[in-house]
Amino acid sequence: MKIAIWGDELAAWVSAVSLAEKGNHIYMVRETHNTALIPNDTSICNEPGLMAAIQAQRDKKQLFACSFEEGCAFETHWMAMAPSEFNQAQTIIDKLVTRNKRLLVINQSNFGIGASEKLRSYLTDPEHQSIAYIPDTLQQGLALYQFNNPDVLIIGSDTDRTLPLLKAIFRPFSGGLEQIQFMSPQEAEFTKFAINGMLALRLGYINELANLADQLQVDIDLVIQGMSADVRVGKHYLQPGCGFGGQHFTHSIKSLADLLSHKQRSTLLEMVLSENEKQKELPFRKLWQHYQCDIRDKVISVWGVAFKPGIASIENAPSIRVIKALLAQGAVIKVHDPAAMLELHTYFGANSQIIYCETAIEATLNSEALLLITEWNEYSSPDFDQLKANMKTPLIIDGRNIWEPQYLRELGFTYYGVGR
Amino acid sequence: MTIENAWQRLSEHAEEMKSLHLKELLKDEARIHSLKHRHDHLLLDFSKQRILPETFKQLTELAEVSELTRQIERLFEGDIVNQSEQRPALHTALRAPKSTQIEYQGRNVIDEVYESLERMKEIVTQIHAGQWRGFSGEPITTIVNIGVGGSDLGPMMACKALAEFKATTEQKLEFIFVSSMDGSQLAEVLDHLNPANTLFILASKSFTTIDTLANGATAREWLCNASGLDDALLMKRHFIGVTAVPDKANEWGIPCENQLHFAQWVGGRYSLWSAIGLPIALKIGMEGFRQLLDGAHSMDKHFRNTPFERNLPVLLALTEIWNINFLDIHAHAILPYDGRLAHLPAYLEQLEMESNGKSVTQSGEPVTRRTCPVLWGEVGPNAQHAFYQLLHQGTERVMCDFILPARRYDEHSDELKKQHRLALANCLAQSRTLALGDDVIKQAETAPAHKRYPGNQPSTTFLLDELNPYNFGALIALYEHKVYTQAVIWNINPFDQWGVELGKVMANELLESIENQETGNFDGATNALLTEIHALNQFCQYKDQDKAS
Repeated sequence: MKIAIWGDELAAWVSAVSLAEKGNHIYMVRETHNTALIPNDTSICNEPGLMAAIQAQRDKKQLFACSFEEGCAFETHWMAMAPSEFNQAQTIIDKLVTRNKRLLVINQSNFGIGASEKLRSYLTDPEHQSIAYIPDTLQQGLALYQFNNPDVLIIGSDTDRTLPLLKAIFRPFSGGLEQIQFMSPQEAEFTKFAINGMLALRLGYINELANLADQLQVDIDLVIQGMSADVRVGKHYLQPGCGFGGQHFTHSIKSLADLLSHKQRSTLLEMVLSENEKQKELPFRKLWQHYQCDIRDKVISVWGVAFKPGIASIENAPSIRVIKALLAQGAVIKVHDPAAMLELHTYFGANSQIIYCETAIEATLNSEALLLITEWNEYSSPDFDQLKANMKTPLIIDGRNIWEPQYLRELGFTYYGVGR
Repeated sequence: MTIENAWQRLSEHAEEMKSLHLKELLKDEARIHSLKHRHDHLLLDFSKQRILPETFKQLTELAEVSELTRQIERLFEGDIVNQSEQRPALHTALRAPKSTQIEYQGRNVIDEVYESLERMKEIVTQIHAGQWRGFSGEPITTIVNIGVGGSDLGPMMACKALAEFKATTEQKLEFIFVSSMDGSQLAEVLDHLNPANTLFILASKSFTTIDTLANGATAREWLCNASGLDDALLMKRHFIGVTAVPDKANEWGIPCENQLHFAQWVGGRYSLWSAIGLPIALKIGMEGFRQLLDGAHSMDKHFRNTPFERNLPVLLALTEIWNINFLDIHAHAILPYDGRLAHLPAYLEQLEMESNGKSVTQSGEPVTRRTCPVLWGEVGPNAQHAFYQLLHQGTERVMCDFILPARRYDEHSDELKKQHRLALANCLAQSRTLALGDDVIKQAETAPAHKRYPGNQPSTTFLLDELNPYNFGALIALYEHKVYTQAVIWNINPFDQWGVELGKVMANELLESIENQETGNFDGATNALLTEIHALNQFCQYKDQDKAS
């Protein structure tokens, strides 16, 4: 099958290579004269396995770059565009309908509830043209695996006519599929929002509980084990920490929060978002309280600035808020991240209070506290003896609960976790 | 001409004018052209005052022989205009440009002014960025200003008036003003505030004001109980002191770096332009605060440099002197037709009555003429349902200030714009009816007596292009200079307030008697009330004991 792909999002590239791997001929629509198959967003380039897969499919002549005009000639289209590109999407569909009597557009962009309906209004021949919506549930870092091994596939379509074609496209990925669900595009859009909202609520709730556990001197880890054992609760998204970040997740929750607030004056998700912003500063607050509200001129180490491990993006990352707070209070920051140093440097620039370090251990020299913000694998088991020797004051604030409190305390560290 | 001649001539002129009704005067269509004056974005319309252009001429002569020109210069130059306290009154320096030079005690006072503004900016920037942290590390989101009189009314009025111009801040900021000595305001707000993100501004020129320190002590105790932390740390994170006496603020426990200072030559009721204006700067940002100062400065220049015939503060002062001293009007209503100016009447009550509520001259002689009238007010449309009855049909003569912005709600819904037009219509209708009486309708004379309107109540209309920080600054400065002009002509000191001192001393003596449950040796009336109070408190104690047992 020949499919044109529109957009430069992670979902666009992951769909492109995955569909190409199954034998489809995939045409990525790029700006004129840009025939390189490289995502514009560098954090997408860091997606594990993605660049190699793109290269392989290109070499096999399954994956091509094409121009806007060339892209318009196909009958089957896949859109995975940024939430802000809704106007472009409208323009594209407006153009496509003039070129093709038969048309299927599979939209995977998070334009919000009601977007599919709006796009559908551009179709000129509803008998032969249709738009389907597939929620983008890909997580950065795991996207390729998830696309190829979905548990559940949700397809939002207004017409049964296109189902055979849609089934044909998705059939190669349905090996481990437990369910394939058909619903209207609007319901599929709502489902996408609802899932994200639920996850945010769980994270918000567990963070609240962890903060309470701190006050009551209870170990939240044990509480979570107990909670997870109840099948009604389950085990996912119950890890407390210093807040969630990222672009799409936050944007999606924000859209749903706005919708809830606008349509029914509900502040539930707004509260979750504002509490999450507060939670991002938790490591700073623990440090602030430990040093009795004075950290001027202290050297503070920060490990991990990406909004989650495995990527280079610092968008909405807790680290930004923590670093800003440390700067404002006159601390000196020694920072390390395995992938996001460039982004961090772009964000904060040259600053006499920030020392960008090449290794994690170097960042701890003469430090009076180590703040772990992003749980990169390489931080899991550092050389604690070296760490302690490096640090002026052996104080650890573990924003992701990755270390064993008792062990660290035995080594002579002062340890603060989230809820333990 | 001597001063007395000028007063005498005006008295004679007044005799002719007294019989003239405003409805007669307003028949002259050309009148408005000679009786309206504009500066910047503010128009004053005196056409509904019981005056003729000739009246203004004679009044300005009175101002001239009273040496107003020289006295204005003395005010701006930093001369000792406050005789009883031997101080200049340099509120105009607070809004002067940086390049100005005003020497006092061997120092350019402008340097001090800008040092304070600089420090204020640091604090404002930190709080707006969400980086002023409380004891738990949370950013400050609630600002409680504790002050009374000038340390309360000015900032509270300006924050309400200019709320639409609020600065962009990382966190939404809430502002609360607490002044009452009995703690009733404070107790109510503390109930719903979070100690971790609440900052108290203690504003007191002397830092000995008992009202403010008592509220401060309650706030301090509340924070201590909530956090369990030591006092010094809480002082550092949760209190800012604004004062002219740093030693007293130190004594109270406010660390130096959390203090904002202003000079002794800033009078309390003239202090919203100084560090006392911190809540305003927090609300509208430093840029907005600068615009406020610039608006006031523009009025300063106008007051200093414009001939009296076109000088807004001077004409306003003279009009009121005409009403008070020649037409025997001793009540003054302040009627803003804009809810944002709700606190303006209370502010002006202090500015005018504390400044000019005096009965001895600068040289200590009893005054021979009336000075400041009783002044009160309310948002106009609300007052229409309260005391306008008295204005229209009562026996008191009252002069009124109608204050209204011509434009509002430019960016808002049609319904709100309509509400503004409704307020405008009401303002014009009221000033017109007060002036003309039932002459505005046909065949009024056939109505029964209780439906008749005599009219002839004089008013000035203050028409602002729109309400913004600049115009608001100009409006307040206009009133300040009006007050000064009147004080010069009445030859009284507008910058002291000895009348409020004795009460404070008495209160200290009485407090002792109340604390110790003694009757004391006061007058019979006071002794009797003390006895009642003691008895009632003892009764409550017994009841409490009963409950406990």
